[in-house]
Amino acid sequence: MRVNMMHAEHKTNFSLAINAPQGLRMEQERIAVEVNGLNLYYGGKRALNSVNMQIPRNRVTAFIGPSGCGKSTLLRCFNRMNDLVDSCSIDGQITLDKENIYAKGVDVAELRRRVGMVFQKPNPFPKSIFENVAYGLRIQGIKKKRLISETVEWALKSAALWDEVKDRLHESALGMSGGQQQRLVIARTIAVKPEILLLDEPASSLDPISTLKIEELIHELKKDFTIVIVTHNMQQAARVSDYTAFMYMGDLIEFGTTDQLFTNPVQKQTEDYITGRYG
Amino acid sequence: MNITNKDGHAGHISQQFNTELDEILTHLMTMGGLIEQQLKDAIEGLKVGDTELLQNAIKADDKINIMEMRLDEQCTHIIARRQPAASDLRLVIAISKAVADLERMGDEICRIANSSKKLTQGFPGEGYAQVRHISDLVATMVSDALTAFARYDADLAYQVAKRDDAVDQEYKFAMRALVTHMMEEPQTIKQSMHIIWILRSLERVGDHAQNVAQHLIYLVKGINVSHSSVAQMHATLDMHKHE
Repeated sequence: MRVNMMHAEHKTNFSLAINAPQGLRMEQERIAVEVNGLNLYYGGKRALNSVNMQIPRNRVTAFIGPSGCGKSTLLRCFNRMNDLVDSCSIDGQITLDKENIYAKGVDVAELRRRVGMVFQKPNPFPKSIFENVAYGLRIQGIKKKRLISETVEWALKSAALWDEVKDRLHESALGMSGGQQQRLVIARTIAVKPEILLLDEPASSLDPISTLKIEELIHELKKDFTIVIVTHNMQQAARVSDYTAFMYMGDLIEFGTTDQLFTNPVQKQTEDYITGRYG
Repeated sequence: MNITNKDGHAGHISQQFNTELDEILTHLMTMGGLIEQQLKDAIEGLKVGDTELLQNAIKADDKINIMEMRLDEQCTHIIARRQPAASDLRLVIAISKAVADLERMGDEICRIANSSKKLTQGFPGEGYAQVRHISDLVATMVSDALTAFARYDADLAYQVAKRDDAVDQEYKFAMRALVTHMMEEPQTIKQSMHIIWILRSLERVGDHAQNVAQHLIYLVKGINVSHSSVAQMHATLDMHKHE
């Protein structure tokens, strides 16, 4: 086998990503989400300590850190999922396109359309593959059959699932493999054309090949969406993200380009965590 | 984040990983020790015309090549199995590059020993002073580069790089003197050519020592100073001094 062919056959094209952004700089990014002095409390316990950060548009931003460091909590603030927790309260500000998402009068359902979310375990509805993806569109009141089927096809293609399911669109989604289900859930999320995609450990219940497919998908999707991913798998953060934030006990310890953070972090806590010395 | 000594690579949750990183550093130092001895043998053999010492220097190359392969393999295994990050990653990269430079040093020293054996008219003669002077400079560079690695001493590594400029300068002077000598006494051309090859190899050993020093700076400071002039290096190191 010729050497150049060997490298070309990877499941991901990262190794060939010569056109990948080199020398990213936050100053040059367009900012999608801005977090200012965010504190979050579960009852009396503070879970996030005055977090400030900017999430750049059309980039993949990864949150890493040990369990309980607040990374999922922070992610859930971006589409106000924490509103569903009774004891949860926040102060500080999060703006999406310069609008405060916690301001009075914000339509939370609309916010969650703009900021879609995918969870650790695939959660397809007990419906057909087609209906899963069409669900969000129907909720929005779209009735035109042609528009719906075109959008479903686009979403399934974008989620790299179309070729696998195009002949069984009307079969139950529950008959798919875990990896396929997760890509279906991503298709369902992007069908309503969100701006931001929040991924909370999207591959942690999947086998390595399905994981690589999800990672490849993330790489493709950042052309159209701003992606924020929480992951326990540091190598995954290193593989898929452009920027990485390291959190520890509710504090944002370090936030920088993934290249810099994984080769020469500024903070000792970051260094200890990513090199496996934490604990 | 700067790393100040080799203990910076300890403290992993995985003890095995600590051991593996410690091992490649120890093996690099062992390999460095072999090179130092090889260089010493070659220079001493050359100065006093001792063919046994020259033969020792030539024989050492086999051992050095084996160590290179072994270290390459260890570094590859660590990357494949541990996916090192941050200062651990820089350690593996720096060592893997330093190993290549050390191996090339070994080859050059072999050439020095081989050319020395061919010196028919013995030493001292024309070029003796230059060879002596440059070999002293280069031997110090090699041993300082290795000491810098052992102590994670970026300042000492910088001094090594600085000294390479002096070697380059001396090398140019020596060349000029030898060329003049060959023109004046053409019957010495054969002898002089051997000395030129020896000087050339010494100069190359100095270059590799400078590279090793630069790999150490990358390991300690996380900045790449290859292809930097001494002045650029000084400025970069100064900038990162307080990080």
